[in-house]
Amino acid sequence: MNADLVLVHLYPDLLRTYGDRGNVLALVRRAEWRGFRVEVAPVSRGERVPPGAGIVLLGGGTDRDQEILGEDLVGRREELDAAATGGAVVVGICGGYQLLGRRYVAADGSAIDGLGLLDVVTEAAAGRMVGNVHARAWLDGRDFDLVGFENHGGRTRLGPAARPLASVPRGQGNNGLDGTEGAVQGAVLGTYLHGPVLPANPDFADALLARALARRLGGEPLAPLGDRLEHEALARARRRGR
Amino acid sequence: MANGPRGRGSVPRRLGPLDAAAEVLGRAAGAAVRKAGLGAGHSLPGAIVERLVPGYLARRAATLPDGTVAVSGTNGKTTTASMLRTILREAGVPTVGNESGANLSRGVVSALVAMPRGTRLGVFEVDEAVLARHAAELAPRVVVLTNIFRDQLDRFAETEMVAGLFRRTLAQVPGVLVVANADDPLLWRAVEEFDPLGFGVAPLPGAGPGGADAEPEACPRCGRVPVYAGRTMAHLGRASCTACGWRSPEPAVVAEVLPGGGIDRLELALPGGRVVLPVGGVHNAYNAAAAVAAAGALGVGAAEAVRGLAAFRPRFGRAEALTLGGRPAWVFLMKNPAGAGVVVREVAADPRVGAVVLAVSDQVSDGRDISWIWDADFERLAAAGLPVVPAGRRAADVAVRLRYAGAEPAPAEEDPAAALRAALARCPAGKGIAVLATYTAMLDVRHAITRTRRDRMLDVRAGGAGDAGERNR
Ligand SMILES: [Zn+2]
Repeated sequence: MNADLVLVHLYPDLLRTYGDRGNVLALVRRAEWRGFRVEVAPVSRGERVPPGAGIVLLGGGTDRDQEILGEDLVGRREELDAAATGGAVVVGICGGYQLLGRRYVAADGSAIDGLGLLDVVTEAAAGRMVGNVHARAWLDGRDFDLVGFENHGGRTRLGPAARPLASVPRGQGNNGLDGTEGAVQGAVLGTYLHGPVLPANPDFADALLARALARRLGGEPLAPLGDRLEHEALARARRRGR
Repeated sequence: MANGPRGRGSVPRRLGPLDAAAEVLGRAAGAAVRKAGLGAGHSLPGAIVERLVPGYLARRAATLPDGTVAVSGTNGKTTTASMLRTILREAGVPTVGNESGANLSRGVVSALVAMPRGTRLGVFEVDEAVLARHAAELAPRVVVLTNIFRDQLDRFAETEMVAGLFRRTLAQVPGVLVVANADDPLLWRAVEEFDPLGFGVAPLPGAGPGGADAEPEACPRCGRVPVYAGRTMAHLGRASCTACGWRSPEPAVVAEVLPGGGIDRLELALPGGRVVLPVGGVHNAYNAAAAVAAAGALGVGAAEAVRGLAAFRPRFGRAEALTLGGRPAWVFLMKNPAGAGVVVREVAADPRVGAVVLAVSDQVSDGRDISWIWDADFERLAAAGLPVVPAGRRAADVAVRLRYAGAEPAPAEEDPAAALRAALARCPAGKGIAVLATYTAMLDVRHAITRTRRDRMLDVRAGGAGDAGERNR
């Protein structure tokens, strides 16, 4: 198949704890509904990212899943770097977001190196940050609502090379202190939001698709999809308490 | 009863006078509440007794001549406990058991306070999170562990954590007999040192590799990718690891699913013979195997257990058949992707189903993070072409989920009565409604069904069907 978009789902057998299949489904359907042909490429341990990736998605997993991945992550950095340079958007969600960062410092002080594609460091801390989130995102010259559910123990701080994806009027976001949520650094993005985040936030999904399909679109915007059901769900989410 | 439960090996304790007096007060308060029409008075006796005589639970449980059984795990606790109690009842052993509910200890205490004289054994379902505490109080002879699935992600992010809880709990109950699901690699690995009695289900030819509803698959010992010789549902099956040599055991009790099942029919071949159950789905084959294995651990022979199991009838929200506007309505509790997937499979395949209500709420007992609905195989509902009404507090999100599943959902209805009306209006004549609901959504739907029966709010002629059956009650 000669696909318009190759969507790489990295570690689909492990990083999929919080409905990450929904994130894949949102990207696939929203591209297909606009007439683009999409190929989903699951890439697991020991497998390589295929050439021509448009989006690389890393979902969330448990601490153990992330531990198991340790040895496979070695060497992924160059591969994902190359994919991003070749025009791919790299998106990490929850655990995947932490993996994209420089370091994860566990509760006992031991540090695990991340992929280093985002200038963020995550430290484990007591007390999980759990609840509904209403954030305001800013990406590619547009701002939009970002709603979802967060559930993480790690506190993430951004370094100078990364900027926040969103501010959090309701919720804890990156660390519960600075009012930020997620990170953007060139072609690499991360967020803590479940929901899953992409079907719940069609504007965010479309921003990623617009980047990944930029060459095919040739400067044209993505065709609107209506999204009546999504907007109804979003309106309710905005009113939902923590 | 020739082959009934073995004795505990120790003489049961007698109840002290203070505990006995508190029981009398508790029972009287429960009766007064019922008499005054203030409710069923289920939890009040427990609350009173807990308050008056702390530590009652452990002391009362110790008076049961045949001891107690604790049933824990993510899915199937209620049904397994209920099947086991049915087997024991048919075997002539009067049992006491708790209703599943928010306050476990109060529920168990209330059940103990209300149990009739002559009750010999307690079968209690115990939430994974509080098993350690309650195992100390109940001092169970047998602990039945059904499975470990992702459930209520905001509460238990880590399935490994649950496995660790099980292991630590069992280490604290000396001499306990463990009955565990041999097809669940993570669970089995966590408890295999306790020499458990394994139960399982024969692999199903149609069950492919773990879908989105399965747990992430890793060898429970070394973390590498396991190989499956056969599967039943999600990550359950016979696994082995080529890297470290770990493998699933051969279960002592295996249920084989025979052809001809449906949403409310399951025929099984078990070691003690064949049985037909009025519930569908491979998950219920596991529950049946667990109950027969647990009965065996209590000394009930396999043939007697299977004969007893035939008397099992589903309970609240477990393929419960109700009537709605003269039509059958089957209500299924949906807790997580794997459980939902099994129910969806049965519902989509059953020609008696004409419409579906898919009700998801996000209260604490539903699980506040509803992300899991994206891992459940609702694509199969869409492919079956059944009209689906999104319902519950998160009806709008269910509608979005269905859109991406390839369905054209009916308008979302947060109000359960409105959702039921919408489903009836879309249901072809002669068919019934399947309601798939998370815990509090199910309570809301059941309440709407009973309330609307009384008020005739659902007295509609959907699809030309009358409801004379209802009228004549
Ligand atoms: Zn292994």
